[in-house]
Parts: sequence; C-alpha cells; structure tokens
Amino acid sequence: MPEGAGPEPGEPGASAAGDGRPVAEVPFRGGGFAPAPRRGVGPLLFAGLILLWEAGARLGWIGPLVLPAPSEVAGAFVRLVESGQLWLHLAASLQRLLLGWTAGTLLGLLFGLAAGLFSLGRAGIVPLVAAIFPIPKIALLPLFIVWFGIGEESKVATILFGTFFPTVIAVYGGVDNVDRGLIRMGQSFGLPWLSIVRKIVLPGALPAILSGFRISAAIAIILLVAAEMIGAEYGVGAYILLAGNLMATDQLVAGVAILSAMGLTVSWLLGRAERHFLKWRL
Amino acid sequence: MDLSLRAVTHRYGDLEVLRGIDLTIRAGEVVCVIGPSGCGKSTLLRLLGGLERPSEGRVLQVGEPPPGSLNPLTYVFQDFALLPWRTAAGNVALALEDRPCSRAERREIVAEVLARTKLSEFADVLPRQLSGGMRQRVAIARALAVRPACLLLDEPLSALDSQTRELLLDDLLELWLRERFTACYVTHNLSEAVRLGHRIVVLSRRPGRIREIVEIDMPLEARKDGLAELQEQQRRLWELLREEAAAADRELADA
Ligand SMILES: Nc1ncnc2c1ncn2[C@@H]1O[C@H](COP(=O)(O)OP(=O)(O)OP(=O)(O)O)[C@@H](O)[C@H]1O
Ligand SMILES: [Mg+2]
Repeated sequence: MPEGAGPEPGEPGASAAGDGRPVAEVPFRGGGFAPAPRRGVGPLLFAGLILLWEAGARLGWIGPLVLPAPSEVAGAFVRLVESGQLWLHLAASLQRLLLGWTAGTLLGLLFGLAAGLFSLGRAGIVPLVAAIFPIPKIALLPLFIVWFGIGEESKVATILFGTFFPTVIAVYGGVDNVDRGLIRMGQSFGLPWLSIVRKIVLPGALPAILSGFRISAAIAIILLVAAEMIGAEYGVGAYILLAGNLMATDQLVAGVAILSAMGLTVSWLLGRAERHFLKWRL
Repeated sequence: MDLSLRAVTHRYGDLEVLRGIDLTIRAGEVVCVIGPSGCGKSTLLRLLGGLERPSEGRVLQVGEPPPGSLNPLTYVFQDFALLPWRTAAGNVALALEDRPCSRAERREIVAEVLARTKLSEFADVLPRQLSGGMRQRVAIARALAVRPACLLLDEPLSALDSQTRELLLDDLLELWLRERFTACYVTHNLSEAVRLGHRIVVLSRRPGRIREIVEIDMPLEARKDGLAELQEQQRRLWELLREEAAAADRELADA
C-alpha cells in the first residue's frame, strides 16, 4: 500500500484507521460497456482520414493511378455539378431506389407478417426466403432483363428483390419477439384480430422492422450499381461504371462518395424515424 | 352471472396440469386460489376466461352478464400487460376502442376509471415512467373500464414490493366494497388470500386437484391486517399447503 497517497491524516479516508488498520478506497470496477453518443467524433475522423489521404497523395506515397487525391476527386465532383449532369444522375438513381425499396419493403412487410402470424405462411415463406436470400441478385441480372426488358423495370426489380428478403426476415423476427402476454391481453379484452395486429403486433415489432430498414436500405444502394449495369444512360451507378471503363479514377471515387452520402442520409433519416416512433423505449 | 367449472381436466401434451376440477364462482364473491407453484393456477384462470380450451370437462357461464358489461370476463395480469407505447389513458382506451361507443363516451369512461383508481394526474404518462404499483393501477383501471362481470386476477400484486402491495390490497378491498364485483384471485400470498377471499380454494401439487375449499365468514370490511382470526386461518392454510409445496419443489428440481 503506497503511503501518503490518501488525504491528510485525521480526515475520514486517511490511510490508516485510528487503531492502525490500513484504510483504502474500494477500487472502482463498474463503468464501461455503455457507449454514449459523442458529438463531432465522426466528422473529425472523416476529416482526419481525408487530410491524411491528401497529404499522402501530395507527398507521393500514394500514386495517382492507385488512388486519386481528394482534391482531384473534388475537382471531378465540381465538374459534374457544373455540367448539370449530377442532378440527372441523382434523379434517375433516387427514383429507382425509391421505387424499388418501397415496393420491396411493402411486399416484405406483407410476407413477413404472413410468416409471423400464420402457420402455413411460415411453413411456406421461411424456407423460400432461406433458399433465395443468399443468391447474389447480380447473378440474376440476365434473367431480370429477359423478364422485365432493358428499361426501368428490370432495374427497379433488382432493387426490389434485394430489399424484399431482408425485410421479410426482419418483420417476422420482430413479430416473433412481440410479447405474447400483450397479445393474450388483447384477446382477453376481446379485441378483433385486425386490431391486435395493428395496435399490438405491429408497434411491438417496429423496433426490429426499423433496424431491418437500415439493412435493406444499404442493400438497395449496393444493388443500385448492379441495376445500372443494365444499359442505363443516367444514374450514379452508371456514372461510376463509365468512369471505371475509362479508368477515370477521380470520377469513380467521386461517384462512390455520392453513394456514401446517400447511405449517410438514409441512416440519418432512419435515426430520426427511430427517435420519433420509438420514444416509448428510451 | 356465475362462472362454473365442471369436471375440468387439462393437459399440455403429456403433462396433466389440472384434474377433475369442479368449482363455481358465484356472483359477487371473491374466490381466491392458492397452491404450490406449477400446480396449474394460471391455467385454471386462463380456462375460466376462455383463453384456453379444457382437454376435458366444461367451463360454463351461468346466467346473463349484467347489461352494459362490455367484456364480462376481464383479466388483470401479474406483469400488468400494458402497451409500453401508449400512455396510461391510451392503455385504458385500448379496451374500449373496438366497442360500439362514441369518442366522447370513451373519453368519459377513461377519465372516470382513472379517477376511480386515483390516476387522473397520470393520464398522459407512459408506463415506463410509472412505478410498479401505478402500472398495476392502470391495468386495474383498464379492467374496470369494460365493466366486467367477473374479474380474473393472476397474482396481480406479486410483482410489487411489500409496501405497495399492502396499499394496493387496501385499494382492491375498498373497490370491492363499493362495486361488489365477482372475482377469481390467484395468489401465492396467503395473507392476501385471507384478506380478500370469501372462499379460498387450495389446490394440490400438479396435477392440480381441489384439496379443500376454505370458507371465511368474516365480512371483507371487518378484515384488518394482523387480525388474530385471520392469522389462524392463514396458519391453517399454510399447514394444508406445506407438504404439497415441499413435494412440488422437489418435483421441479428433479424434472
Ligand atoms: N402453454 C403451455 N404449454 C405447455 N406447458 C405449459 C403451458 N403453460 C403452462 N404449462 C405448464 O403447466 C404447469 C402449470 O402451469 P401454470 O402456469 O398454470 O402454473 P401456476 O400454478 O400458475 O404456477 P406459478 O405458481 O408458477 O404461477 C407448469 O408445469 C407449466 O410448465
Ligand atoms: Mg401462474
């Protein structure tokens, strides 16, 4: 026991009790395992990484062919904005994302509920989802083209298929986790079936459904590039693919950054939605 | 309206939980059910309220429920079963929303039952902000809102600390004196049983059979905590339960 570390002798908490037995602070062992929000860390990290990258490029550690400097990427982005093409690309992509994601999510909700509520639904849907979910939708692109043509339909269908399966899994998992006691309560008060689903099952499954949305939205953005491989004139994915074919790495990275920004936006929107709809959980 | 079990036996798969139960709960009386854990008390209550179908025998409603009763058989659950995303008033309203009553009527009923359970100032509060005792009060308010003919209470005070339990027990007594509701009250707690029950049904260990039905003549309003007579009853009940509980305890440990 180190001497003199405690407060003045005579005060409570001195390093020896009146009868000479040693006195020590009880060591603190709690704490941790509770990450708290830290504002500004994220942006700072981003800025730091970009600065490092820029410095690396300027100092010649990163060859221009390996990775273009952030300033060059920014240049490509500015040219994209000035040419007015950005809005065309964004509009085309957002439309596909929105259509595909909404349709996939609605269908996923429907099938997920069916799997969560009915024995027959579960017996049919669960193995089907297990069988089809792991198939990379990109592998099915030629089929989609045959089925839906080379227009918008096949692109939307790719995103739809990609978002449908994770939504089904999230929804029926969420329904499974709804407190059975609450459902019994609803039945005991004579609530009609539809009311139990609307007022007890759906709100109870909402936390799981919303985290499912995070995953399905990310998958939708991933699949955007794949979907726009199908002869798209405009679209962020098409822009990236063209840049890749021309080895225009600055444009390629600028396009990828736009996808990242989309991801961040979606995540922020869903965060707002969670805070609004799941107030009761806090 | 009386509620009657006729030769009811219930099984979950191969597990026989209740055997040959004959019991009538008469209008206006409180029947307490005690028994070792796992003997089928909750199952009995679920059978009474139609949440479970008996394997054998019948569960009967004798006579008409009083007019104006929206949900004749109404539960109060041990874990309160409140929707965490609804306020106290919203939770009470849930029981009324699918009933043929107007918005104004509903609001009136909700306000009235919240007042009766001394919850008016907590109407717009979410369950997580309420103490356990308050949550159970909300659940009781919800049960009262549908004007039940028979209340089915499954250990309603077991999740509460002993002080809150005492307070809520007094509230329940007061409520009964005012409304004279019919109730089946399942509990582990013998002192609750002797305070609240006109008759006390003692179940044996699983498969639960009726070991004895103890009648307590003293009117509810005369029953006070710590009355010698009640303590004598309580001691007798404990005698009845003791071996069953000990045996049930060993059984569960072996399983
Ligand atoms: N839905 C069910 N499916 C299968 N077994 C069940 C089910 N519900 C209850 N059981 C079993 O039936 C037996 C009686 O259960 P019950 O909940 O009625 O007992 P209890 O007397 O209320 O017990 P406790 O005092 O612990 O509340 C227990 O052994 C339990 O495991
Ligand atoms: Mg029980």
